[in-house]
Amino acid sequence: MPQLRNVAIVAFAQLPVVARDEHRTATEMLYLAVRQALEQCQARRDDIDYQIAGSTDYMDGRPFGFVTALESLGSWPPRQDLHLEMDGTFCAYYAWLRMQAGDCETALVVAHGKVSEGDPRRVTNLQMDPYYHAPLGIDAIASSALQASMYMARTGVGDHELARVAARNRAHGARNPDNQVRAVATAEELQSTPFVVEPLRQGYLAPVGETATCLILAVEGKAERMCDRPVWIHGVDHRSELQTLGARDLSRSAGARLASERALALAGLDRADQVDLAELAATNPAEEMVLCDALGLDPFASRPVLNPSGGPLCADPVMSTGLIRLGEAFRQLAGRAGERTVSGAEMALVHGQQGHCLQTNIVWICGTRRRWS
Amino acid sequence: MKCSAPPETPVKYVEAVVWLPYHYVAGDYRAVYLRALKDKKILGSRCDVTKKVFVPPVINSPESFAPCSELVQVSDQGRITTFCIVNIPVIGRNLELPYVAASVLLDGADIPIFALIQECRTEDVHMGMRVEAVWKPDGQRQGDHEDILYFRPSQSSSSGEWPRPI
Repeated sequence: MPQLRNVAIVAFAQLPVVARDEHRTATEMLYLAVRQALEQCQARRDDIDYQIAGSTDYMDGRPFGFVTALESLGSWPPRQDLHLEMDGTFCAYYAWLRMQAGDCETALVVAHGKVSEGDPRRVTNLQMDPYYHAPLGIDAIASSALQASMYMARTGVGDHELARVAARNRAHGARNPDNQVRAVATAEELQSTPFVVEPLRQGYLAPVGETATCLILAVEGKAERMCDRPVWIHGVDHRSELQTLGARDLSRSAGARLASERALALAGLDRADQVDLAELAATNPAEEMVLCDALGLDPFASRPVLNPSGGPLCADPVMSTGLIRLGEAFRQLAGRAGERTVSGAEMALVHGQQGHCLQTNIVWICGTRRRWS
Repeated sequence: MKCSAPPETPVKYVEAVVWLPYHYVAGDYRAVYLRALKDKKILGSRCDVTKKVFVPPVINSPESFAPCSELVQVSDQGRITTFCIVNIPVIGRNLELPYVAASVLLDGADIPIFALIQECRTEDVHMGMRVEAVWKPDGQRQGDHEDILYFRPSQSSSSGEWPRPI
């Protein structure tokens, strides 16, 4: 394995996820998150070399909305900046790459999106090709239901298992003050909620919500000065699959499997269950089980603890959902997770995704100690 | 299976209409700003550190990154800082050609706003020219940017000290 540059997460801030923020635009929300993150690591804006944002103009309804975000990021004097039409977790990956290339030593990684201002179901429909799939009206819930159905048929997993996975997320999520949904619900209660798109029930779907998030990365030498307990990146890998739903076996995630194998190898681990906790960006329990299958995790085991934050079932702000997973790993391993702390946690696996049915996956391995000496 | 003959008129395009409705939150600062237009007041926000005034108001200075905690009223008169003479129709507006589009630095503001200049010949417009807002009549203002119909050469001198805290 190569010797890479040690990079750490030194701060993470988010606004509590809400269904609709009536008082702020997306970039006004972002300003607050960026200020909080900088204050956490006592950094001045000029201390940060590089900035990268994840957002989608389709969701915000503002062409080039990311340019507006520059004004919330403190972009004077002119900065090195990049924008991805992707979840912030992928932005963190690009910042990490820039650090490996020696281009920068500190980076602001942000994500924003006011989902409530648009219509997420119409937007996820437009992610499909315009010839065959979009005219059928397939949106993210429908494609997730196709995936769930295929997974249940292949494995024999039933409705009750989905309900148990959802209930476990809800139980964990009640202890996270940043969550949109904080009410505990039992598997029986969730299993009695109505079908939205069968086999997915109302209780198995993530709520539509919004926030703004900011994570700060720093290289060895700077990270220790910015944070008393920096959380180090041990491994990361990012894989994309085909867009065409019919071209993939939706009951499996080949991309997540490969990404986790590569990330674990980079981290010097053999198996995913060697970590203490995992934060998975699955937006329904069937998808979480597909993901566990790909990563080699047992969705019903007590260790590693899966989604101690409550996961996307308790808060799924588009563009930030993946970055929150990385932020949660930081909060857990840096001793900032409050009531939801996983005791003795030293290593975490973090998953992020984009697209329909786990089309693009990223897997991070993070730890309390530096990976390379 | 054998394909039938291709259609005589080949299908070259697929028509698709993208319909994406949005309802934008104004944000607390912008909401106060828009509401003030009904009263013929133009508001800005002042940077806590540099004291520069931004119009329309923003919650932070894009330049200093500091918050802009104070809302202030600026004048509805100012100076042209740059302009152009437009000879082609613009999408969405029915304006007599040619017309002048200008950048106007309102008295008391530190960044200009963009404005239409009317009631003068295009060749008379010049850099530094004093202009004033022409408002919709009382009772017709809605609290949006249409409340200022256009700017015209100043007919009165600027009065008072700007910006005024509100």
